Amino acid sequence: MDRRHFLNQTGLNLGAIALGGLINRESSHAAGNAIARLDFPSFAPKAKRVIFLTQSGGPSQLELFDYKPGLMKWAGVELPESVRQGQRLTTMTSSQKQLILPGITKFSSHGESGATVSEWLPHTGSVADELCFVKSMVTDQINHAPAMTKFLTGHQLAGRPSFGAWASYGLGSANQNLPDYLVLISKMKRPSDQPLYDHYWGSGFLPSRYQGVKLRNAKDPVLYLRDPDGLPRERRRGMLDGIGELNAMRLEETGDPEIATRIQQYEMAFRMQTSVPELTDLSDEPESVFELYGPDSRRPGSYAANCILARRLAERGVRFIQLFHPDWDHHSRLPSWCTARCRDTDQPSAALIRDLKLRGLLEDTLVIWGGEFGRGVAGQGKWDSPEAGRDHHPRCFTIWMAGGGVKPGITYGATDDFSYNVAENPVHVRDLHATALHLLGVDHERFSYRFQGLDYKLTGVDPSRVVKEILV
Amino acid sequence: MCSGSPRRLFLKSVLLALCFLTSLIGKAKEAPVSFSREVLPILSDRCFHCHGPDPGNRKADLRLDDETEVKRDRDGLKIVTPKDPAASELWQRLVTEDEEEIMPPLDSHRKALSDTEKDVIRRWIEEGAPWGKHWSFEKPVRPLLSESDKEVNPIDVFVRKRLASEGLELSPPAPAHTQLRRLSFALTGLPPSATVKNHLPTALSQPPTAPEWEKLVDQLLASPHHGERLAMWWLDAARYSDTDGFQGDAERTNWPWRDWVVDAFNRNLSFDQFTIEQFAGDLLPNATPDQILATCFHRNHMTNGEGGRDPEESRIDYVIDRVNTTGTVWLGLTLGCTQCHTHKFDPVSHEDYYRLFAFFNSINEDGKAGTNAVPYLDYQSPLAARSVAEMAAYVEAVKPLEAAARAEAEKRFERWFADTLTKLPHDYTAWESPPPHSVTSVEGTEFIIGKDAIVQATGPHPNQDDYHLTLGASTLPSRITGWKLEVFPHPDHTDGKLSRGKSGEFILTNVKLLVKRRGHSQVRDIEIKGAVADFQREAKAKNYGLVKDTLDDDPRNGWTTESSDPKSPHTAVFELKEPLVLAPDEELVFALLHRSTGGDANIGRFRISTTSEAGETVRSITTSPLEEAIRKKGAIDAALRSRLLAQYLVDDRDYQATLARLNEANRQLAEVKKAEGKTKVMVLAERPQPRETHILERGVWDAKGAVVQPGVLPAILPWPDEQARTRLDLAKWLVSADNPLTARVVVNHLWQLMFGRGLVRSTEDFGLQGELPTHPDLLDWLAVELIENDWNLRHILKLIATSETFRQSSEVSPELLERDPDNRLLSRAPRFRLPSWMIRDNALAASALLNPAVGGPPVKPWQPEGVWEEIFMGRYTYQPSVGPAQYRRTLYAYWRRSSSPTFLFDSAQRRVCEVRMNLTNTPLHALTLLNDTGMLEASRVLADAVSTRGFDPDKALDDLSLHVLSRELTEAEKAVLKREWTKSMDYYSSNPADAILFTRVGQQEAATQEKAPVIATWMTLASMMLNLDEAITHE
Repeated sequence: MDRRHFLNQTGLNLGAIALGGLINRESSHAAGNAIARLDFPSFAPKAKRVIFLTQSGGPSQLELFDYKPGLMKWAGVELPESVRQGQRLTTMTSSQKQLILPGITKFSSHGESGATVSEWLPHTGSVADELCFVKSMVTDQINHAPAMTKFLTGHQLAGRPSFGAWASYGLGSANQNLPDYLVLISKMKRPSDQPLYDHYWGSGFLPSRYQGVKLRNAKDPVLYLRDPDGLPRERRRGMLDGIGELNAMRLEETGDPEIATRIQQYEMAFRMQTSVPELTDLSDEPESVFELYGPDSRRPGSYAANCILARRLAERGVRFIQLFHPDWDHHSRLPSWCTARCRDTDQPSAALIRDLKLRGLLEDTLVIWGGEFGRGVAGQGKWDSPEAGRDHHPRCFTIWMAGGGVKPGITYGATDDFSYNVAENPVHVRDLHATALHLLGVDHERFSYRFQGLDYKLTGVDPSRVVKEILV
Repeated sequence: MCSGSPRRLFLKSVLLALCFLTSLIGKAKEAPVSFSREVLPILSDRCFHCHGPDPGNRKADLRLDDETEVKRDRDGLKIVTPKDPAASELWQRLVTEDEEEIMPPLDSHRKALSDTEKDVIRRWIEEGAPWGKHWSFEKPVRPLLSESDKEVNPIDVFVRKRLASEGLELSPPAPAHTQLRRLSFALTGLPPSATVKNHLPTALSQPPTAPEWEKLVDQLLASPHHGERLAMWWLDAARYSDTDGFQGDAERTNWPWRDWVVDAFNRNLSFDQFTIEQFAGDLLPNATPDQILATCFHRNHMTNGEGGRDPEESRIDYVIDRVNTTGTVWLGLTLGCTQCHTHKFDPVSHEDYYRLFAFFNSINEDGKAGTNAVPYLDYQSPLAARSVAEMAAYVEAVKPLEAAARAEAEKRFERWFADTLTKLPHDYTAWESPPPHSVTSVEGTEFIIGKDAIVQATGPHPNQDDYHLTLGASTLPSRITGWKLEVFPHPDHTDGKLSRGKSGEFILTNVKLLVKRRGHSQVRDIEIKGAVADFQREAKAKNYGLVKDTLDDDPRNGWTTESSDPKSPHTAVFELKEPLVLAPDEELVFALLHRSTGGDANIGRFRISTTSEAGETVRSITTSPLEEAIRKKGAIDAALRSRLLAQYLVDDRDYQATLARLNEANRQLAEVKKAEGKTKVMVLAERPQPRETHILERGVWDAKGAVVQPGVLPAILPWPDEQARTRLDLAKWLVSADNPLTARVVVNHLWQLMFGRGLVRSTEDFGLQGELPTHPDLLDWLAVELIENDWNLRHILKLIATSETFRQSSEVSPELLERDPDNRLLSRAPRFRLPSWMIRDNALAASALLNPAVGGPPVKPWQPEGVWEEIFMGRYTYQPSVGPAQYRRTLYAYWRRSSSPTFLFDSAQRRVCEVRMNLTNTPLHALTLLNDTGMLEASRVLADAVSTRGFDPDKALDDLSLHVLSRELTEAEKAVLKREWTKSMDYYSSNPADAILFTRVGQQEAATQEKAPVIATWMTLASMMLNLDEAITHE
């Protein structure tokens, strides 16, 4: 049997197995709806889970990662058309002159890898040898909602399954007491200009059990988790016993296997009522952990506290853990506004890497840090005032990855002298998806779901590739 | 296909021909192969991706979707030679052993053909390779029924015929109560009401007779709830929502359109007219406001008003959404693909797509969102007045409660004041300033704690810094309602001003209040409700000035007193959201953040004080009224008394609860009043000058290709261009008697409403990649029946409802389940979970909480606290409706697109059109049904009802079961329920406080001390019943 035959065969067999698993766990009604095939050829996976540290709003690569000392001599000069090449602007700056604002931060090299990281991210710099910086990220959307939708679902319009939903659909569960895909959103006091729509972690046309479940910083960490006041646990147990027995009688009577599933799901609901609060209660974490993740980690709901939770979820086998930190949309006042978000996220992100490594989890956990696009080299507002900010920029941005089979201590790809266009090794968001799926052991070309008569993939129809150069 | 060497081909052909000869011998005669049902689906699935209609993807310049191309001579080679598989390249490529030649190619990720599929291709070629269209593109023809069959419901004839061919038959009729529930849910989305039940003379003991049943069906079809049920189907398809969906997710007031839909269904408006009005009501001669209102259908898409977005890009998105929705809802075609390229499977080209696009391209819109989403219709809904009257009545009902509560509170005030005067010392002060436990900084500032707890910054002077001041609980009052920050000038500061920074002014960007507990690593974040200052600089938008801006997490704004006299002290007062009570081992940390853009403006000298007084003291910079009263030794005038009373009332929890109820009722009254006048409904209207329509290359909004004119899909039903110019023409084309798709798609929707799934399971796709109908003849018969009965939906629904197929039992044997797990043969009725909206409506109806009013502005059923704040970081807050508005049907529930109602755990998302039910079975929905306030409130009300039945639990159990399951219980079931009843009763009798807590739910007052244990016990049972699989299932 040659390779192609082998792949075909194993593909089908694995598909059949996965399908069997799905039907067992899924409502048979829903399963019949749309699952046509799940060609799921498994490579040996390098990563068993993903922690996606989503920085919503578009962090500035120019202030944080993409060091361009040569720009100083261009300060205040109009961006040459040879660089801009007709790039579209948002309507927020399309009427203003594109005057160059060099990065306003100091950079230094870190670790053996010598990665250049800004003074605004000192902790990130200190773990640079664990990170793989991709400086040549590209997207094709210039506004938040479409760009974030693209970044997280592969398509700019809402309606497709999110990356996390695809992963939990494909990989299945490693924990019977928790959902496979959990979402944690930093609690902020300021009304957000970029709402975090639930389609960012939605299941699109995949069965809804694959959608991300929000872990809330509220009385109910998961919606409806808490029993009502005045109902003791023992009574809840009794009620569920009764419901189970009556449902079993109904099953006997009707022969509908869906009832058996329902009985199981009510039991899992009961288990979640214990396992989730146990998970979100950080009081069993030692003081040293809070010291590692920084002072903000003591405040429940903060990004830093969510980073500790992310590690706890990883320990419990949750497949896809997604943090959202809003408010990276710095159209003005970089020195106060951007630094505030750096302070929120720098130490905890770095601590998470250290902590995962310390616990032996980093090697099979893929960590991704990044937002939906980058920011333009032209200043927005008066370029030479501290009030200046930057507009959205889709043509290049920086993300970093760590663990899970990604080469540590490297920088991949580069931008031109203006951090405007990618100069070498472009990585489109599709390529990021393909690469992440590859690390999870999934061939993005074959991992599809039939909906409305078409086989949909996370990476869509345009060409995409696994960035092999950054794999261990 | 690439060609192999001729010699090899020849050899193989000989070999293969031999194989056929042998395989043909002894084979029984079979029915001829159907090209459209058997051959075309195989070609489409395995070949069209590379050899189909889309030239962009076409390999080897070969297309297999075109008969001429397939049968023409290619240098002596033919893809298909009729009657001769051996001379047909198509066949050769399926059976070759050569891995380089086999089709589909091994690396195409397309499944190889099964032996059966190959057999179909071979036989088809042998039979002469007759060509035809895809089944759904041929106009349906009414299948003939024999004379004897005409006596019975034709649905049963077709279903029985299919069953007989499999050696099966229909199941016996379902039990009477099951039939009744099934019918009632299917036609009204509600359980059978008492009147419906009583309407049956034979009650529930035996299945209704045919005339009884027909009468019942008519009665339910005539119910106003029937229109509501169909509207829920239509709203999902129309992606209806009360908000835009993007960016600010602004509100829109399109709900009058929702009421138009309900009304259209209740009038049984024919589906052709229903279509015409929604596509082109504005283009009808002498269009009425209601006909224009109908066109809102095509404005229900999401809109994006994001700051940097080009409105033209958004507008193109909206037009695309309309085309795709039309494709899915009316034609069952996945037109979305043809936005970027010619369809890979269906005969719809890239150009066809933009010709459809052209119909919608000249709407007088400009791509804006929010309140600028023109064109609008100013519409005054006749249904809003009822909502206003209802809320006004509720306000009137709450007013006396508030007055009584206030009178009670005033009595308490008098006692408290007398008591306080004697207790407080003469030198009482509202504010206390204990010496700080510690003061530290993040960036290096040092501090000296001086006399009177005044703190002086000293040492290093960083550009930005955070100060942390800690107070121990032992030095603080037993409760804290607010805190005060005083900023002082000092000679050591720049020019003797307030700061050591260059200008001598300070900028405080944020404050935080945290509680730390000894031995614990985590802290509690204390919410600050408001802030006032004796002076603040005027500031607009994001800038430094206002003290309230220290409460957000935004360093771009904050408090500064710049522009006032910089050498006098300044004061800010912060009110806590809830009074704070500290444990002895807790301490309070005040964080003062100086993180302004320019920096160099850290406070130089300050003091922090706390108070336990509420109201005025923490909401203004005045002397505390209590302090004044003590100074005057109780000799107070009317003005001071009223200040003291106001302060007292703020702190009186009982009174505040009642006041909050009244305030909320008044707020909601004001809100519904806005709906009473003219509201703006987004509708269609043409521009005076039509836009030119271009093909958009790869679907990109500004990649304009060739210009195209409006035109219908020629492969479905060709119409001359002059007959297809406007939206009205398009609508007429959709509902033309010759259109092969629309009627089929619509009857399939109706079938799905009644059976959970369509005769074509892929409701949204009747194209080549869609599923074949389970009963093609039945589908066609119904489609023709619909057209010939003037598109009368109710006629079709009645036919289905009165069929034996619909009325049969849903029970299934293991053998049958194995043989037909998906119930494609319909040898039993389907059994499926009710959609989540119906589960809520069922609970409301079963508990008699339901407010059956039809139409009007949206209402807000219970949702957990914080569900909107989380999405928008606090910009929007969800306030559940008060009074009877809380118990309206789910159809009227406010739909925020970015956060759809949480209790609808697996509903359509209303972002794009959805036409298929998505039913899941997960722990999350178990949790919802167990713990949702609405479900618990229904349980409470059911408990109230059955517990009045006296002390016969048996009787009360039956009562409960009749409410929830429409049937009596078996002894075995009763045994389980009695066991839990006893345990609950034991628990709540010995824990009456829990019983009181448990019974206080939703808008229900807690049960009395005396009754609480019994009611709480019945509540547990009612909740169990509402969670039973049977209670939430269409059986």
